[in-house]
Amino acid sequence: MADRSSGPHTVEVTLTAGRARVSLVPGVETDAYAYNGMVPGPTLEVREGDRLIVHLKNELPEPTTVHWHGLHIPWHADGSPFHPIPPGGQADFDFVIPEGTAGTYWYHPHPHHLTRDQVAKGLFGAIVVRAADDPLPPLTEKLLILTDGRFLPDGSVDLPPLTSPEGRVDFENGWEGDLLFVNGQLTPTIAIRSGEVQRWRVVNASASRVYRLAIPGQRLLHVGSDGGLFERPVDTTEVVLSNSERVELLVRGTGAPGDTAVLQALPYDRYIPQTRPADWEETRTLLTLAYANDPPLEPVTLPATLRPVGPMYTATATVTRVMTLTQGFINGKTMDLARVDQTAALGATEIWTIENLVGMDHPFHLHGYRFQVIDVNGVPVTYRRWEDTVNVPKHETVRIIVRFDDYSGKWMFHCHILDHEVNGMMGVLEVK
Amino acid sequence: MRRSVWWIRPLLAVPAIVTAAVVVAAFTGGPVSVVDGPADPEQVLRGRQLVLEHACSLCHGSFDPGQEGWVAGMMRPDQEFLIGPFRTRPRNLTPDNVTGIGRFSERQIFNALRYGLRPGETADVEITATTPGEGNFPINPKYLAPPMPWPAWRHMSDQDLWAIAAYLKHGVAPVSHKVEDSEGPPDFWASAYTPEEIGTLPAAAFPTAHETEPPAGVDRAQVLRGRQVAIQHDCGGCHGGATNPAADGWLAGITDSSGAFPAAACGPDAGGKPCLWMRPRNLTPDDATGTGRYTDRQIFNALRYGLRPSNATDVEIAADRSNFPMEPDYLGLGMPWVAWRHMPDQDLWALVAYLKHGLRPVTNEVEASDAPPDRWASEYTVEKIGPYPATPFPTTYEVKP
Repeated sequence: MADRSSGPHTVEVTLTAGRARVSLVPGVETDAYAYNGMVPGPTLEVREGDRLIVHLKNELPEPTTVHWHGLHIPWHADGSPFHPIPPGGQADFDFVIPEGTAGTYWYHPHPHHLTRDQVAKGLFGAIVVRAADDPLPPLTEKLLILTDGRFLPDGSVDLPPLTSPEGRVDFENGWEGDLLFVNGQLTPTIAIRSGEVQRWRVVNASASRVYRLAIPGQRLLHVGSDGGLFERPVDTTEVVLSNSERVELLVRGTGAPGDTAVLQALPYDRYIPQTRPADWEETRTLLTLAYANDPPLEPVTLPATLRPVGPMYTATATVTRVMTLTQGFINGKTMDLARVDQTAALGATEIWTIENLVGMDHPFHLHGYRFQVIDVNGVPVTYRRWEDTVNVPKHETVRIIVRFDDYSGKWMFHCHILDHEVNGMMGVLEVK
Repeated sequence: MRRSVWWIRPLLAVPAIVTAAVVVAAFTGGPVSVVDGPADPEQVLRGRQLVLEHACSLCHGSFDPGQEGWVAGMMRPDQEFLIGPFRTRPRNLTPDNVTGIGRFSERQIFNALRYGLRPGETADVEITATTPGEGNFPINPKYLAPPMPWPAWRHMSDQDLWAIAAYLKHGVAPVSHKVEDSEGPPDFWASAYTPEEIGTLPAAAFPTAHETEPPAGVDRAQVLRGRQVAIQHDCGGCHGGATNPAADGWLAGITDSSGAFPAAACGPDAGGKPCLWMRPRNLTPDDATGTGRYTDRQIFNALRYGLRPSNATDVEIAADRSNFPMEPDYLGLGMPWVAWRHMPDQDLWALVAYLKHGLRPVTNEVEASDAPPDRWASEYTVEKIGPYPATPFPTTYEVKP
């Protein structure tokens, strides 16, 4: 997209959220919502330290906002339900991408009660923040935005009312679709060469689907999370990506020329028994990895260390809080924009104990500040990483440590199953 | 041994296949809970009394507060209930933060007992209506799974329900014991809990078509208290009419074999163990087929000591049990007299008065329940069911508020 800025360290773009008639399901057109007519919206690429200016035009028939998910920016630019942009309105966002935050982020609407529908109809896009001193060698990069969808025969997005039995199941599980998209496409093919290493940035933009990612027959190098690279690569066979989370993976072309492999979404039981879908145990194919017939490439040397992830010391925490997650509630309450649920001091370091008291996973997202997970059910995490969302599995407890740096304001914390969020599984943290 | 299945059948149109059994299994204590406010010691003791006499722990743990497992939830897979295709499981009611009710407010516990709303899935708010969407009643209410007898418990007074909440939160020691989630239909049992199924709140006015004004000389207030006791203790859950005195068959006993249930897990799923069938009897004062043939004292002794009235001497049992039958003939395991016995004398006598003088007699002969040769004596030892009166507060598994 057009960068209208004049300076080298400023990116200035216009995003228009509006109706679009696009083909999401082959053979039929859908009345969608789109940024600049595209689903997904355009990818914003910036560097650490850049000033990003976005002129957001709302051409939707309803209010919207744009939330810059995961970015550490001032409250007035957060795009939360506090700052709705009316139909026909415009908002100008102007903020600087902090140093040390290179990673994969995304943007999506966040108007009160409307987020689920607007994202499901197509409003989402990625933000890639690059570092001047990226430790990884130049690699072929792939951005994979994962969404799912459910459509009626006429192509319209299937969003049943809350009062219907289907709507009730959506309310419980979150809206899930039978069609799994990668960048708006169904089972696309990614070309790879034998011996090649690709850098994948994967975004879970689904309203509720959790992806347990694996490439059968291959191992993955997990190198980054919400807030960018780890200190060291982690060799694994699968990665769980809950709603709104991102991962960076190094996919090594260990297959032979002419081979094919698939990226799969393995079964993941995040459901309460009452509404667990009948097909939850099915493995789904997200994309095909097609090996070129060309001879294998020379192996790439990958660094053993990536970048420092500064430790956060629990002894520096001055406040501890408990957040209980139940089905639709945080600490037994639903969202009230007129209420402040938690008040914290600017600059304070806090430990939050997030307890999931019910039998369904709830991905917990905090606006404005990145955090580190300390432990899960008392078991310390083995490597430091920056997160803005952490999945709290059914009946488990996660402790996080966070420092409220730089910006005061009223920040959301919420379950990122969008049906839960829009129905009030959200609270307000005032930092002042 | 089976426990606490007496209320399952009336909730469901089809006979429930139920497996349940009881053994108090060993487990270890858990972490300390956070207490969220000062508690009134009197209220906590009142709550303990209610927990005892309402049989909470017959499903949710052991029989006596001095026994391991007290209100700590089911301990073994065969303590699950099978309600149609769904497995439901008695949860840990100790105030452990993660596996118990430690993080739920007393109001959430109150709302569970009064309205049947799952505390984990219902807001922590005061509810002022029972119509979904009004007065904070959820638009899509999510109910506790059968056989939790909240349709009976809801008829207790506010004060009593708050006392139960206070006891569970402040009088019980937290135990870390995770019970797997119950299963259920996507409507969270809403269709099983309609007023047609469970009656109204408050209950239909006295006397319904199945009831009668007591004759002159009988204390009407006592009869009405007895009616409250009968409703609140879910007598109708097994003996007919659920918690609705206006329902057909109210306390008149089962009318066909679908109302019978086995006393313990049995049949092919239980290694071919033979089934002993429980057949809830006719409690109306019919002289030939109901309670009319028993004296008040015999019914009292059935409720307090579990003695089968048809085969029990009509005497007051002495405090030292010197005149207790040498070979007692006990009520079957389906009858939770081990909890009912903890009711105060006046409530038991009130219940007797209601059965004898507040109900219209109905002729309905119910075949006697099956019993083992020892007439259940080996199931009702002090080691198994705990002492009467119950072990004084606080036991090892309780805490002083």
